[in-house]
Amino acid sequence: MKIQRFFKIYSIFTSQYLKRIMEYRFDFITGLIGFFFIQIIGILFIQVVFEQIPDINGWSYYEILFIYGFAQIPRGLDHLLTDNLWFLSFNIVVKGEFDRYLLRPINPLFQLLSEVFQPDAFGELIVGIVLLSISIVKLNISFSILNIFLLIISIIAGTVIYASIKLIFASLSFWFKDSRSVMHMVYSVSDFAKYPVTIYGKVVQFIICYIIPFGFTAFFPAAYFVNKLPVLFAIGGTVMMSLIFACLSYWIWLQGINKYESAGS
Amino acid sequence: MIQVENLNKTFKTYKRGTGLAGAIKGIFKREIIEKHAVKNMNFTIQDGEMVGYIGANGAGKSTTIKMMSGILVPTSGKCEINGVIPYLNRKENAKQIGVVFGQRTQLWWDLPLVESFGILKEIYEVSDKDYKVRYEFMNDLLGLKDFISSPVRTLSLGQRMRADLAASLIHNPKILYLDEPTIGLDIMVKASMLKGIRDINNEFKTTVILTTHDLQDIEELCKRIIIIDQGEKIYDGSIKEIKNTYGYMKNISVDLASLDGAGGLDLNTVLQKNTTDLQVEICGASLSVSYNKNKIQSGDILSAIIKHTPILDVTIKETAIEEIVKNIYSGKTGLGKQL
Ligand SMILES: Nc1ncnc2c1ncn2[C@@H]1O[C@H](COP(=O)(O)OP(=O)(O)OP(=O)(O)O)[C@@H](O)[C@H]1O
Ligand SMILES: [Mg+2]
Repeated sequence: MKIQRFFKIYSIFTSQYLKRIMEYRFDFITGLIGFFFIQIIGILFIQVVFEQIPDINGWSYYEILFIYGFAQIPRGLDHLLTDNLWFLSFNIVVKGEFDRYLLRPINPLFQLLSEVFQPDAFGELIVGIVLLSISIVKLNISFSILNIFLLIISIIAGTVIYASIKLIFASLSFWFKDSRSVMHMVYSVSDFAKYPVTIYGKVVQFIICYIIPFGFTAFFPAAYFVNKLPVLFAIGGTVMMSLIFACLSYWIWLQGINKYESAGS
Repeated sequence: MIQVENLNKTFKTYKRGTGLAGAIKGIFKREIIEKHAVKNMNFTIQDGEMVGYIGANGAGKSTTIKMMSGILVPTSGKCEINGVIPYLNRKENAKQIGVVFGQRTQLWWDLPLVESFGILKEIYEVSDKDYKVRYEFMNDLLGLKDFISSPVRTLSLGQRMRADLAASLIHNPKILYLDEPTIGLDIMVKASMLKGIRDINNEFKTTVILTTHDLQDIEELCKRIIIIDQGEKIYDGSIKEIKNTYGYMKNISVDLASLDGAGGLDLNTVLQKNTTDLQVEICGASLSVSYNKNKIQSGDILSAIIKHTPILDVTIKETAIEEIVKNIYSGKTGLGKQL
């Protein structure tokens, strides 16, 4: 009953959102092209690097393509579903627009996220799926039920990690009014996750594994599928991290709500 | 029942220095300014009451409403709405209240109004049957049909306000907070809105708390008013009582026969009264005299004027609630500072 209600509300928002996008078709199409463009540059970059050297730190071209492709999927899903967190970080709180979320008898975070559905993210998702499919075939990764299951689990966990990190830094706006720049800074750390973490120095490795754990959104789960890490650490660790960060971020969000000051008018 | 006891809200802001030097200094050492928006507020409001909550700009009206609706966590004190503490149990509280902030819409900017209502219907779990009845009721009251399929961002101020009021009533709340619901409305819409509020109160025994700077709205709707000044309550009682106690100033307007008829007339000297009890304003051929009815007879004033110059017409007015409240805000009644 309850879940049904959430779905219904979400679908009303999404269909309205899509209708509006159809109205502003130009904006939508340019957005999508822009994202494809960025993705293609990224892939070309990998290709250029591999024309010079056959492998990086023991990682072959297709293994790296696998990680790169994998990284796009949780990132794309998060982008699709939680884009309104950006808006929270620089606009909704400081302008006092957050009032309305607290006046309705339904979870404020759900309300916030359901309002925006970001189809720009299909750029990332399509590129991710294509790269992943190509490299799965080239690397002969087995299509066992277990592997498919683990793939889905790790994609969900990766998405949760993305969303949690964004939620933590967007929530800082409750204290500082505008947290967009720090959120940008943190989010750009995710670029490191597209490549094997072993190519970085110790400090960067530590940061993207344990402080801002984007490493778990791509490198660790991907390393399991190319037989570089045991399942328990790779997938188990990813799920663990996602649970820890989901709880942590939601706790910070709740603290933030109680700090919310609205606006003078 | 709404119970507010020793409720406080303090905002902390940081003082910014001026210029570049000030800004740099501000990075290292920031001076905290505490703004006591609401101070030791106490009141109880019974079910079905309509209460006017008034005060000058920045008095703390919106801040109080935001605490009662669960938006703000109080700095200290108690606030219970039908036994629910708003900020601890926002969901339960939200089900029983409706809120309209005149300056800001609670609706989705880009969505057609009808879709917004559809979403609210789901959020508040209103049955199809109830929704239909309430929608019809509100459409009769507020005339929503003309703009029901327009996106909220395209509505005029008055249309938006009507939409917001309707949206706040979709779940038939037990308590309605209206923070300046009539700003920017034309006379017709305002009248129908006020009638709507009264009808809703009559029909559903909805408790209404209303803030506005238009005291006529309050006089039309509320028996009881709470006046606050700089975050503190300075009056809580009936409008009638405040009129009896503080409405001792009356006003006489006199139309003179000649344009400069009032020249050389000094009523204060003639009647031997100082300017607190007697104020005279001359504007062309008309004369306006405000006087303390407990100390001066209107007859004395009139005969003094007639002795001086012929007159055409006279009007005598009781002090409007507006005048009283103006005096309270400016400290003339002695209310506020002592209490
Ligand atoms: N978010 C905030 N941060 C800092 N100060 C605030 C905030 N909100 C309100 N204040 C201050 O608290 C005081 C009370 O504000 P409030 O909005 O409650 O006044 P009000 O009685 O509603 O006034 P108005 O009639 O102008 O709407 C004001 O001095 C205002 O500057
Ligand atoms: Mg206000």
